[in-house]
Amino acid sequence: MRKILRLARREYRASVRTKGFIIGLALAPVMMSGSIIAMVLFQGKVDTADKRIAVVDRSEVVAEMLVSATEARNSAVVYDQESGKKVKPAYLIEVIPSSASDPAAQRLALSDRVRARELHAFIEIGSEVLNPGKDWEAARIRYYGENAAIDEIRGWLTGTINDYLRRLRLANTGVDEEETENVLAWINVEPVAPVSLDKDTGEISEAQSTNELETIMTPIFMLMLMFMMIMMGAIPLLNAVMEEKTLRIAEVILGSMRPFQFMMGKIIGGVAVSLTALSVYSILGIIAVYRMDVVDKIPLEVLPWIFAYMVLTIFMTGSGFAALGSACNDAKDAQNLTFPAMVPLIIPMFLLVPILQAPNSTFATGLSLFPPFTPMLMILRLSSPVGIPGWQPWVGLAEVFLLAVISVWVGGRIFRVGILMQGQPPKFSNILRWAVRG
Amino acid sequence: MNTVDIEQVTKTFGQVTAVDNLSLSVPQGSIYGFIGPNGAGKTTTLRMIMNIFWPDSGTILVFGEELQGAGTDRIGYLPEERGLYKKMKVRELLQFYGELKNGKGLRRDVDRWLERLDLSNWANKRVETLSKGMSQKVQFIAAVVSLPDLIILDEPFTGLDPVNTDVIREAILEIRAQGTTVIFSTHDMNVAERMCDYIFMIHKGRKVLDGTLTAIQDEYGSDTIRIRTEDDAKALQNLDGIEKINDFGQLQELRMTRGYDPQQVLAAVISRTRITSFEVARPSLHDIFVRIAAPEAEEESHAQDT
Repeated sequence: MRKILRLARREYRASVRTKGFIIGLALAPVMMSGSIIAMVLFQGKVDTADKRIAVVDRSEVVAEMLVSATEARNSAVVYDQESGKKVKPAYLIEVIPSSASDPAAQRLALSDRVRARELHAFIEIGSEVLNPGKDWEAARIRYYGENAAIDEIRGWLTGTINDYLRRLRLANTGVDEEETENVLAWINVEPVAPVSLDKDTGEISEAQSTNELETIMTPIFMLMLMFMMIMMGAIPLLNAVMEEKTLRIAEVILGSMRPFQFMMGKIIGGVAVSLTALSVYSILGIIAVYRMDVVDKIPLEVLPWIFAYMVLTIFMTGSGFAALGSACNDAKDAQNLTFPAMVPLIIPMFLLVPILQAPNSTFATGLSLFPPFTPMLMILRLSSPVGIPGWQPWVGLAEVFLLAVISVWVGGRIFRVGILMQGQPPKFSNILRWAVRG
Repeated sequence: MNTVDIEQVTKTFGQVTAVDNLSLSVPQGSIYGFIGPNGAGKTTTLRMIMNIFWPDSGTILVFGEELQGAGTDRIGYLPEERGLYKKMKVRELLQFYGELKNGKGLRRDVDRWLERLDLSNWANKRVETLSKGMSQKVQFIAAVVSLPDLIILDEPFTGLDPVNTDVIREAILEIRAQGTTVIFSTHDMNVAERMCDYIFMIHKGRKVLDGTLTAIQDEYGSDTIRIRTEDDAKALQNLDGIEKINDFGQLQELRMTRGYDPQQVLAAVISRTRITSFEVARPSLHDIFVRIAAPEAEEESHAQDT
């Protein structure tokens, strides 16, 4: 055991003392949550160039309203009230008399202007928009633009035009203006968590509103954290073992210890590296959560589970990666094997959405109890505000423990043969033979 | 008392028999030289003694016992190819390798060896900055620093210049003088002849020579003539009673047919040219090696210097 720990200590020092580790420690969360951070950072960085939109109004009831609505919008939101800085584009409406004789030619002419960048887009309002029930085809509103499908102006126009048309239709039926507000009132369905009984006070807790942060972001972040720890502790073992084999360091080490001890030393070194990183992230995370006062939104109680699952997962995957590394003869072999070996770790990433939507579905429960996926999917489900049955993480942990034991045992058999085998390609059949024969 | 006892050991890799029914005893405190052509089974045998490979059949006793893992702490090992962590500093690396052998007082011993092999200035440098010869010396220290009772050196002199070869040779002799048993493999027959108490030759997995140099040479008798003439090898062609001429340029080595009288050879050569030196000798280890490993190795031997 002493030798295993000495080897683990060397592994740990060799990893942690490098600049790469420090930089990786700082950069990994940035990379992992890069898109989220980018979204936050660049949220305000919208294109503020004014947008000229032509309106062909065949109904002859909308264009005038649009002109005044855009003016109202422009004066309200284009400039920041405090700084006076332009923060949004102004919409400039150009009303085009509709050509009854040749609408197709008019569309082409306007489309050419869009392509020539004279116009951002043009909108064609059908003649029957006020009474669509009469003729749905004649009631269509079309927005012609180069990026029409994802253009946010289209959304603004849809809301503004429909709101106006509804008011107009109500007014036409004789509803007075005051009543119109009531009729058109829009009420959101708010997301809230189930209430619970406070055992100390005997009171029923107030409903806690939920948001994307806790239902989506936090579980994904926790899953990413788990993935990152595996990346740091287990995956580098493949290359490290391959290098020790090709540089013949393995032979010197094997002159002092058994192959199994050698492999365990490497894995424990990997566990120590991940524990260091996870501890750093946990401490910083807890500080951040308290500073930002979002303690009730972040399930810190999941952290001990992450630690427990992570240690077992690194034994489970690390032994596999070390065994594969022992089968490689050069960097190319290692490169070829890394991706297929990572597939079981990547698959849970694709299952994020259905599992988050229904964390207690049979699908989610079943997959999260499938041991190769358990560490990541169980953490994902545990971090979700939807509670999962208390026995499941324990059963998952027991399964991962069992698979880790099997994986270390099988990995050890492959490692024992592979580490001294030169010139044999790391073919699946070879690896399987070594695992069976030992 | 033998340090190593190998009894009828066989080791195969797939269809290839690397070591075939080998028996060998290495007495305590001796220097045992392993020679043999490339791929003959030397390294496999050494690895089996190290417990890195396990024999398919037969037994290997080291210090009177079959090795059980920790037994390897008493054995120092220098593998054929250098195995050093490139990014580690020399002193750190040597201490680490010593620790893996449960060595005591390593810091002191590491420094003593570094000084002895003229590497003190490199103690805090990374291994990757060392020359090939320096790396070889570091690897040697790694093998001996934990004060083992047996050291196994797989081609320890490869890549060393004559000065460093002498340094390592003296270090090996000093370690032996302290009672340590030394087994090393080499392709340098001169080194084997001069250093080894016993020489073992393996060829195609089988033992072909085993004993002291004198005993081995006695098997072949005084059938070798070393001769220098004014006309070099030209004057020695087609002599009666000569099976083979090894031409080393300035010196020629003639192998006589068994039972032939060297006086007759001398007379025949005198009739052809002037002789500057004539010696009847037992065959060198090099020659014996070539005779056994021929014909493939014989081709190569012409190009080699002794």
